[in-house]
Amino acid sequence: MKLNRRAFVGTGMAAASTLSAPMVHAASHGKPKVVVVGGGAGGATAARYIAKDSAGEIDVTLIEPTRTYYTCFFSNLYIGGFRDLNSIAHSYGKLASEYGINVVHDWATGVDRDAKTVALAGGGSVPYDRLILSPGIDFIEGSVPGWDISAQNAMPHAYKAGSQTELLKAQIMAMPEGGTYVMVAPPNPYRCPPGPYERISMVAHLLKANNPTAKIIIADPKEKFSKQALFEEGWQKHYTGMVERIGPDFGGGNVTVDPAAMTVNIDGEVVNADVVNVIPAQKAGLICDAAGLTEGNWAPVDGHSMVSRLDENIHILGDATNQGDMPKSGYSANSQAKVAAMAVRGALTGSRVFPAKFSNTCWSLIATDDGVKVGAAYEPNDEKIASVSSFVSQTGEDSALRKATYEESIGWYEGITTDMFG
Amino acid sequence: MANNSGLFVSVLGGAALVLGAAYGWTARDFRSQELVALTDRLSQLEASNTDLAERVEQKADLEEKISELEVSLAAALEAVEAAKSAAAAPAPAPAAPEPDTIVADASGFQFGDPSRGEEVFAQCRSCHQIGQGASDRIGPHLNGIFGRRAGAHDGFRYSDDMAMMGSDGLTWEIETLNAYLENPKALVSRTRMNFAGLKDAQDRSDILAYLRQFSASPQNIPEAAPTAQAREVDLSPEVLAIVGDTDYGEYLASECKTCHQQDGSDQGIPSIIQWPTEDFVVAMHAYKRQIRPHPVMQMMASRLSDEEIAALAAYFAQLE
Repeated sequence: MKLNRRAFVGTGMAAASTLSAPMVHAASHGKPKVVVVGGGAGGATAARYIAKDSAGEIDVTLIEPTRTYYTCFFSNLYIGGFRDLNSIAHSYGKLASEYGINVVHDWATGVDRDAKTVALAGGGSVPYDRLILSPGIDFIEGSVPGWDISAQNAMPHAYKAGSQTELLKAQIMAMPEGGTYVMVAPPNPYRCPPGPYERISMVAHLLKANNPTAKIIIADPKEKFSKQALFEEGWQKHYTGMVERIGPDFGGGNVTVDPAAMTVNIDGEVVNADVVNVIPAQKAGLICDAAGLTEGNWAPVDGHSMVSRLDENIHILGDATNQGDMPKSGYSANSQAKVAAMAVRGALTGSRVFPAKFSNTCWSLIATDDGVKVGAAYEPNDEKIASVSSFVSQTGEDSALRKATYEESIGWYEGITTDMFG
Repeated sequence: MANNSGLFVSVLGGAALVLGAAYGWTARDFRSQELVALTDRLSQLEASNTDLAERVEQKADLEEKISELEVSLAAALEAVEAAKSAAAAPAPAPAAPEPDTIVADASGFQFGDPSRGEEVFAQCRSCHQIGQGASDRIGPHLNGIFGRRAGAHDGFRYSDDMAMMGSDGLTWEIETLNAYLENPKALVSRTRMNFAGLKDAQDRSDILAYLRQFSASPQNIPEAAPTAQAREVDLSPEVLAIVGDTDYGEYLASECKTCHQQDGSDQGIPSIIQWPTEDFVVAMHAYKRQIRPHPVMQMMASRLSDEEIAALAAYFAQLE
């Protein structure tokens, strides 16, 4: 979906509802209330499915600070020049106008679990019978010494899509001839396991066309990474000699940065960089911690219904959770959202509840028409969500299959964004 | 024949001997006359013997020639039969193509080998039936496709684009079928036929030669190959008879809809709505048993029970 006038009108209605939402809720005692925090792959899907399948029996409020949502998935393709920014931008117009969801553009700052209300940065609070948190990730302060959120303009993370992604691409385009791009890759676990390496592919694709003598350095604290053999084969094939990865054996995990000097110190060796893409270590979105729902960096959930292990009236989705084997991906969050939506409807209206099934597939683009994928199916047990079968693309696949895989990813993008935003 | 001249030379040689013997008869005594007569007789016998040997050889030669002629006569009769059956099918071109011959139509299109075309058609069979008893499945049946207006076969629900192309005047002839088979979405951009296309021109000319056989007058449609209408996987009647729970199907389908579009549009990922339930069930079991190759679909199908597959089939069949 692209932004259009109809979507704009819808967002306008949603904005109007921001003012009236708490009062409306206060006035309608009869209907059960679901509040969803976070309008990404988890939250938007959950809100839409609950509203759609309850056919007006449940009041759904979606709290999301941004009016235009840029998907993290496919944002690397924008960097590579395969998508324009508008094509990964989505509004909440349809969720408001066609599904009757109260879309509140504000920050949720805290949860009063006893009173069952969510506090908003703009003042006021929203009551709930069931709360769904899908806040995504935040960064762990101090994980890359020398970097903090105030340095994100000098050294962008671009790991929440939108202006950061635009900024990173602009910096890469402005690199001097033969310049150096450094990525500081994150430790496990983090959002979108193949994401940093798809990004490297897309940066290399962009530089190969515009600045072919430029260098790409990855400082990586991990021994191994997702689809490693596929990416390394692709870099060798398409971007020979451009990409250098420094793993933990060579100090890739011992990194500090100086945003003012634009230097990266990798295990004592100072690299002068033109672009530094710092992807810090990650944790659950801040609201989870604020609501006391985390253990360590993540929020533990029961995979049968995605309910928090610490509060039976709160379900948590996506990247923020500690659920078991599923990767932190938009696809996973979307899959989890449907299980949670079914469980919430079942609890509030007595609708049928079926055994939870989950799946995930991550497509990555390495170069033009060279797509790969990895995926698995999952089912919950009492301990965790466990992988039951999996697959991954193979090295040496023919170009027709790689092209078909890329085309499949375009179909998936259309499918999942329709599933999220209507 | 080469042997005739040899025989003729031998006969002349024999005659010269006889004349020579007669010339010397008066100058010799009786005994020598007798000797000469015997020699003469021997020569005659020898000549006759040679003659007989030549004739035996000649006979064998002629027999060989006859069997050669019989073979070519049989081939000629066969060709006549083939021409007769080809002539029985009304064709747009005045001369009906012989099955084994590459024939150009008026536009210069070369029909290929229909028996090879039948092999190429194997990949189409999961959606299209052809031959006697063919019916509409995921795609419409293809009997009589030549000359049919696009999107106009009664009782089949086409994509809006296909229906529109038909009302705009698209008719399935050699040129249009050839273009459609090469790249379906280039001709009908939002067709529901999820097929990348046959890039090989020989494949297309062969398959069109095959399809062409089923566009003759309806009463003359050849029997399809015995495998044509067979199922991709062998499923028991009990499995096929399961009536799917559409509510359960709707929940299970939420997993499908992450990729497959509910409105039936397809871009890189095929549409799965409005399939006949049996085709849906067969396809899912084919993935489950890893007969169909796609890894994501194999993974999805691997953990679905017979009831769950039936539930999905029932749900997707009734989507508008």
